Amino acid sequence: MSAVSESQDIEQATAAIQPPDNKTRRYDRQLRLWAASGQNALEASSVLVLSSSATLTAVLKNLVLPGIGHFTILDSAVASPADAGNNFFLAGPSSIGKPRAQEATSLLRELNDSVEGEAILKDVGEYLKTDEGRAFISSFSLVITHNLRKDTLDELSRFLWAGFNNPPLMVVRSAGFLAEFFIQYHEQCVAQPHTDENVPSLRIVRPFPALTKWASELDLDSLDPTEHGHVPFVIILVKAVGEWKDSHDGKLPSTMPERKEFKEHVVAMRKKIDEENFDEAEAQAWRIWSDPPVPNAVQSLLTLTPLTTSMSPNTPNAIFHALLQTLNAFVAAPNGPGCLPLSGALPDMRTDTESYVKLQTAYKERAAFEKARFKELLKEGFPALAPTIDGEEIDTFVKNAHHVRVLRGQRWSEWDADKEALASSLSSSPRETATHLALSALSTILNKTPDGSTVTVEALRTEVQKLVGEGVELPEEIGSAIGELARAPTADLPNTAAFLGGMVAQEAIKVITKQYVPVNGYCVIDMVDMWTGTICG
Amino acid sequence: MATEEALSNGNETDWSDRYYHIDQILDKPGPRTDPSFLAGEEVKRFLRETCKILVIGAGGLGCEILANLALSGFKDIHVIDMDTIDISNLNRQFLFRPKDVGKSKAIVAAEFIMNRVPGVKVTPYFGRIQDKDEEYYMQFNLVICGLDSVEARRWINATLVHMVDPDEPESLKPLIDGGTEGFKGQARVILPTVTSCYECSLDMLNKQTAFPICTIANTPRLPEHCIEWASVLEWPRVFKDKKMDTDDPEHIGWLYKTASSRAKEFKIEGVTWSLTQGVVKNIIPAIASTNAIIAASCCNEAFKIATSSAAYLNNYFMLIGTDGVYSFTFEHQKRDDCPVCGGQAITVNVSKEWTLERLIEMLVEKQDVQIKKPSLATPKRQLYFQAPPQLEELTRPNLEKTLSELVDDGEYITVTASSLPFDLTLQVKYD
Repeated sequence: MSAVSESQDIEQATAAIQPPDNKTRRYDRQLRLWAASGQNALEASSVLVLSSSATLTAVLKNLVLPGIGHFTILDSAVASPADAGNNFFLAGPSSIGKPRAQEATSLLRELNDSVEGEAILKDVGEYLKTDEGRAFISSFSLVITHNLRKDTLDELSRFLWAGFNNPPLMVVRSAGFLAEFFIQYHEQCVAQPHTDENVPSLRIVRPFPALTKWASELDLDSLDPTEHGHVPFVIILVKAVGEWKDSHDGKLPSTMPERKEFKEHVVAMRKKIDEENFDEAEAQAWRIWSDPPVPNAVQSLLTLTPLTTSMSPNTPNAIFHALLQTLNAFVAAPNGPGCLPLSGALPDMRTDTESYVKLQTAYKERAAFEKARFKELLKEGFPALAPTIDGEEIDTFVKNAHHVRVLRGQRWSEWDADKEALASSLSSSPRETATHLALSALSTILNKTPDGSTVTVEALRTEVQKLVGEGVELPEEIGSAIGELARAPTADLPNTAAFLGGMVAQEAIKVITKQYVPVNGYCVIDMVDMWTGTICG
Repeated sequence: MATEEALSNGNETDWSDRYYHIDQILDKPGPRTDPSFLAGEEVKRFLRETCKILVIGAGGLGCEILANLALSGFKDIHVIDMDTIDISNLNRQFLFRPKDVGKSKAIVAAEFIMNRVPGVKVTPYFGRIQDKDEEYYMQFNLVICGLDSVEARRWINATLVHMVDPDEPESLKPLIDGGTEGFKGQARVILPTVTSCYECSLDMLNKQTAFPICTIANTPRLPEHCIEWASVLEWPRVFKDKKMDTDDPEHIGWLYKTASSRAKEFKIEGVTWSLTQGVVKNIIPAIASTNAIIAASCCNEAFKIATSSAAYLNNYFMLIGTDGVYSFTFEHQKRDDCPVCGGQAITVNVSKEWTLERLIEMLVEKQDVQIKKPSLATPKRQLYFQAPPQLEELTRPNLEKTLSELVDDGEYITVTASSLPFDLTLQVKYD
């Protein structure tokens, strides 16, 4: 059986095999999550953070370790004794009095030789008022702030929001045990959401010719018991559906009794009680009534109007929208399958090697055929854009066509001006909304007195009331949140910073790789009762 | 650097304003703080001078935990880890550098923390948790676990539950446990004998995919089947008693080559080095960000418990970060029939026609038991013993016998396994 000879030593047998290089080995545990495509996107990215607080160095740590391309810390502050006490990326008391960004940059760079990092000792507020500063800030893939002064943050968010090509902005706020973050983006198109591990449609109800041929030529009665026990469940179901349709005016089983009857029909097809392939066919029968041509969530994307009319390759998401529109054309094409293209994936099933490989080949060939059709439609619909699109990007899109997601966002703090929305959220998600409002109130007060000396429960409550409107009664959750903020208005706690460092980096990785689904709205965190929640999504 | 104020605290490494951030929390209560919280110097002194905390694991979670604890003001930290540093740790275990590959995780991590955070003492132990006895564990106020092994967690959990003496409140050591897998993770607080323990929640673990041996031997379909064939069947056939070392690139190389040739023979695609390694080592994806979140949750609980500055988690925080941020905080319930903290026997309903072997197979499979190589006895007789060899041989014929020949209806069976520090009591009920 084995091609490896019997009398061997390992060294000889493996002489020609090269283990993976050091880079692949270093990143092995994350490549299993986002693969080489995600890694390439990370390595091509550059991230700007506007402060070297404990929270933002924690975020950077979790971006430098997996290997982003470049980071810049823009921060004019000098490390204080308090900074030296709560920031792991300062060298303790010896950093005190030195430029904070510079100290942090050198300790962060130690984490990964392949990441570039620089410190720019400028004041964000002033830099933002210059053309040079604005051009610099918008040249990054992503900008992240933490407890940035409200005035500056407003200016920054308006500036970045104004340009469709500008990078997303992540806004992080925290005090003591409470925190939140928000990602400002116009649109996030997620080609690989990794949200559903189930293999999508197997086309059992819309079989392609190879499946139909196999099922119709199959004479179950003529098979010997071993062969009978190895017929793949897909073929059993295609055959059973065909038989059902023949006796039901071409209709599929739809009512509960019909579904039950269909399953009984499948079970009756088996020869012996212990044929696992037939058990599998019965268990997978749901695929027959849960296989729409296009899943609802994707259907609404097929006719989604892009946010901009520009379809140049440099316009963010232009390619994704071209692919979505092509998908729409593919589904509508009279000579097509009338559904999303086949992914080509096949789950494992009870069958013999030969049948499985044959079935797998049939799925792969069909998927390749439909992908070729898709590419033709893409070329017809977008003659200028199509040649610029990377083949791998099309492959990924088609493979994930059943799961792709589009998120649309809003400008930072726009929500805080919508009194009606705040009041409604306060009653539907009181603790999350209360914490968000308390943090907004704190930002307003700290804008005037950054040292926190004027933060009191009363002052916070007044600000919260202003936000939601005078008539709105504040729930008790407001008291819990503002009391906690009044206790520690300027505390960047090591554990809260580390928690945010993980959360914000995770979301940054999703935005950069376009894999997994980023937060849409305000993600609020309470580390007293230890919960998180997302509002305004 | 030391100011007069710091010196008066008896701590020469604390500079003025070192704890500016944390002291905002320790100087006054919040609206949800328990009235027993003693704000001010006393709680700071306990945290910074008295409290002794044990960290189990200096890997992905452990590195993060050590850094967070040190910055939070814990100054007497112990850490245990039996592993050495591998290059694949460097994408997240941020206290290690390429020059450290091959060295002890516990020792390198301890040195790093002591260099970076002045005044913190970290005492490493390069070895197994099982090397230490109850007296050792008794010296700590808190234990935090950042482990990737179910077996080690079960061991420390059972040990801490066993240590509780109702007359000695100090004998109850809160156990904070964290775990991650890719973008998912959980953190929990276990008060041994008071809350649900690790063993109580064993059935929440994901079941490992196991491929039937007949598929591996006769009808491979997936690349994984070919890899299992190489490691489970071919390795012992070709190398006899030679132990496979999944950290040895030559061994992985041999498995890869062997699996590839089988895959080629069956026209199966997709055997790669990475998949081979993933299957034989049962590799769980791991990233810095999830570890940071979970470790921070664990340390936040340790800080809250040590200082009473805020209520602590009751008792389970679960996180899924794949689709936005989803988390769920809930109270996991104690199990009355938990073999570690429950006291009641586990009832198993079986047919009396079953053989003893079938009962053992069921125990190995059962999600809330998960016992490897169990030995079984009733008060009256030895049913089956895995060791020593003479006893194994003597009891082996029982495997073929039906249960009704060996055990009465309602009788109790004691189950033991060398990997577990406790016995399991089953009550057999016939259908």
